Amino acid sequence: MSTSLRTLAALALMAFLILPLLPLAVWSLAQGWRFPDILPAELSTTAWAYALSPQSGVLESFGITTLIATATTLIAALVGLPAGRALGLYRFRGRGLVVLLLLAPAILPGIAVVFGLHGILLRAGLAGTVAGVILAHLVPVLPYMTLVLAAVFSRFDPTYEQQARTLGATPWQAFRTVTLPAILPGLLTAALFSFLVSWSQYLLTLAVGGGRVQTLPLLLYGFAAAGRNDLTAAIALLYILPGLLILALTARQITGRNTALVSGARP
Amino acid sequence: MTTLALHGLRKSYPGAGQAAVHGLDLTVASGSLTALLGPSGCGKTTTMKLIAGLLTPDTGEVTLDGSPITPLPPERRGVAMVFQNPLLFPHLTVAQNVGFGLRMRHLPPAEIAARAQDMLARVRLDGLGDRRPSALSGGQQQRAALARALVLQPRVLLLDEPLSSLDPGLRDEMRALIRTLQQETGITTVVVTHDQSEAVALADRIALMLDGRLAQHGPPQDFYRRPASQAVARFFGGTNFLPGRSESGQFHAALGALTLPPGAPEGAHVLTIRSEALRLRPGPNPVSARIDAVTFLGTQTRVTLTAQGVTLQALTTPDEATSLSVGAEVTVSLPPEALWLLPVA
Amino acid sequence: MTDRSRIALMLAPALLVLGGLFLTGLGLTLLRSFRYMPALGLTEPDLAAYTAVLTAPGFLRSLGLSLWIATASTAIAALLAMAAALLLRQSFPGRALVSFLIQLNLTVPHIVGAIGMLYLVSQSGSFARLAKAAGLIAGPQDFPALTQDPWAIGIILLYVWKELPFITLILLANLQALGEDHEATARTLGATRWQAFAHVLLPLMLPGLMAASALVFAFAFGAYEVPLILGAHAPKALPVLAWQAANDTDLAARPEAMAMAVLIAGIGLVLLALYARAARSRHVD
Repeated sequence: MSTSLRTLAALALMAFLILPLLPLAVWSLAQGWRFPDILPAELSTTAWAYALSPQSGVLESFGITTLIATATTLIAALVGLPAGRALGLYRFRGRGLVVLLLLAPAILPGIAVVFGLHGILLRAGLAGTVAGVILAHLVPVLPYMTLVLAAVFSRFDPTYEQQARTLGATPWQAFRTVTLPAILPGLLTAALFSFLVSWSQYLLTLAVGGGRVQTLPLLLYGFAAAGRNDLTAAIALLYILPGLLILALTARQITGRNTALVSGARP
Repeated sequence: MTTLALHGLRKSYPGAGQAAVHGLDLTVASGSLTALLGPSGCGKTTTMKLIAGLLTPDTGEVTLDGSPITPLPPERRGVAMVFQNPLLFPHLTVAQNVGFGLRMRHLPPAEIAARAQDMLARVRLDGLGDRRPSALSGGQQQRAALARALVLQPRVLLLDEPLSSLDPGLRDEMRALIRTLQQETGITTVVVTHDQSEAVALADRIALMLDGRLAQHGPPQDFYRRPASQAVARFFGGTNFLPGRSESGQFHAALGALTLPPGAPEGAHVLTIRSEALRLRPGPNPVSARIDAVTFLGTQTRVTLTAQGVTLQALTTPDEATSLSVGAEVTVSLPPEALWLLPVA
Repeated sequence: MTDRSRIALMLAPALLVLGGLFLTGLGLTLLRSFRYMPALGLTEPDLAAYTAVLTAPGFLRSLGLSLWIATASTAIAALLAMAAALLLRQSFPGRALVSFLIQLNLTVPHIVGAIGMLYLVSQSGSFARLAKAAGLIAGPQDFPALTQDPWAIGIILLYVWKELPFITLILLANLQALGEDHEATARTLGATRWQAFAHVLLPLMLPGLMAASALVFAFAFGAYEVPLILGAHAPKALPVLAWQAANDTDLAARPEAMAMAVLIAGIGLVLLALYARAARSRHVD
């Protein structure tokens, strides 16, 4: 392919990637943007001001969404670490089955699980609560975290731990001073993307939260359905902010070799 | 039969300060088996890729029988390359791998199968054609890769470290196979290696590359007996270097005057003698020395000596070394026919 | 402690969480789809919900629509992603910006993309405004319906937009692992650039492409919020239909929702098997 053709293809790709985000940026600053105006007659920060004011509930929603995603990620990390270690370092009978059980929630559409999940959490008295939503988010997040950590552990040489033990470290010390530093970059990246997976959930939150747990996507849909384009756009941009931040923090890892990371990096 | 020539070949990589290949001139005689030898990072693999057409030189030219091939894409050069890893295509069977190049030329399937079969037999892989590459051992994979290149009857065959991924036991076998096939086919062959003993055992001619330049090119014995520079001598295991002056058949240095072989050049030089040629008994050019260390190396013993403040190393048989003790004074001799003069620096 | 029991202990928390939530959830859905709901006095399992669902024309139309959306989105995204991956493997001015945009896109939630797409291609969206300015249309009604349309073009556009980067990144990782030596070998064996691609690179990339495509297909088939925003009123995409049935005031419709969920899960399981196979063949080599 010649260089000019390549550049042309790259430009087309860039345009395609950026286009759907442009109307959001413009709408968020628009004051009455009627058809057929190509650009709004007037720009204003009204939508932003309202979105950031207490009465819109956006900030509260932002807080709840952050809380849920953080808690989900922490639990997933605690539960996923030993499981990822087992999968990454050992070959054992039934390993394939475990991997399949982990892949299933990633592949099976949420709608297939959501009714049963709601039923269980209802019985446990957790439907409509933040705790219930956190548990529901574990269904997609935990497998993702575990599989990425399994990939991380498969590149870790456990003889380092044995070396530490022969030098007098307790199992906990060996983990704390040798293993953890070695897997930390992978763990952090997995955590950031787990956060994002939870952050992007819509259906699970809607079903289990039953409208009583208003995360950002639910709020966003509410404004979109009400036809408040300017507010919707402002909230949408606020909503993608953490993703941008995470991208800035991890840009290098994700272009790299870690297919597992990418595989799961989708809500 | 094809003569391969490189003229002023130069290649640098963006970002890397120094050029990988620095104006390389080299003529590989038709039908020869030439080893392109050098330490890692000296530009050997870059040179191979320039010949194969996988890289484009910044300047310079590659010719086959005098006609330039530099503008041609790899597939039209008639240069086949076997990489360090066998790189058999995992989605094809062994026979399909061997027939790959013929398939690219759109030969009839029956002919491809027959020629692949024949070639597999010649590398002693008969009956394994239907297997997947992953079912083959490392040595078998390397032989299949060789067959895949040879079946095309290339004008030039390039082998990049063909033995380095094999276990030591398999290397002799592979080396013998490469030699046999090369002699049978007469294909002009260049083998890249970083191992001087491998180059010596395998090739008719050696081209030694140091720092992107050709340091010496010639038959293997020359690199021991008549190295072109101190760097060449060191690469081939030389340890004894003595700066001084050559004047009318005598070399004047810290060790006193030594008789040189006839025809030695005049002027400032560095004298070298291979450690296996240095005698631990009186003879021509005697020098008295003190033994600093005796190191048993298995089939040989290394003796380190100091004479007039100059450190010398000698290699001897373990039997002869039993009588030597550290600290003893001995008389050693430097036979004139084993002395060789190198340019200063 | 033996190795086996230690491994079991390490896996236990994760298996408990997933077993308790995911597997039990699926089981509960399955029971309810057979109309086994003791709380409502239904203790005799039967297949009535399945019969009702499979004979309702609405369901079959929704199933067809969802299969169409998933197939078209996956095929287009996979094809473009292949081209994008091959492009991004080479160097050209602006390469860093393109790879940044690709990664950015990966972090944008589907619902945001869907709203953005709505504002872009709907009949009063940015493109329609441009068309009006260019004199191509007289009013919004003249602009082709790309959202809430029977062919689900807006939905497909959104999935292509969102999943192309995902497949591209998987393929890029794949290409990086493969290195360039296989292609170089093919070239020195007499393959042209195109032959090296068709006979060597493409077959080697295929398992990765299949695995990624299976994931994309499953998502495009089963996602709820995207057709909710961009889809037509009728027929609805299957997940939207199932959700609606589950929230029907008529309690009798609920087992039908469960039956739909089970059918969707069945299709998901087929895709899972496909993915596992593709992933396995990728690891063999």
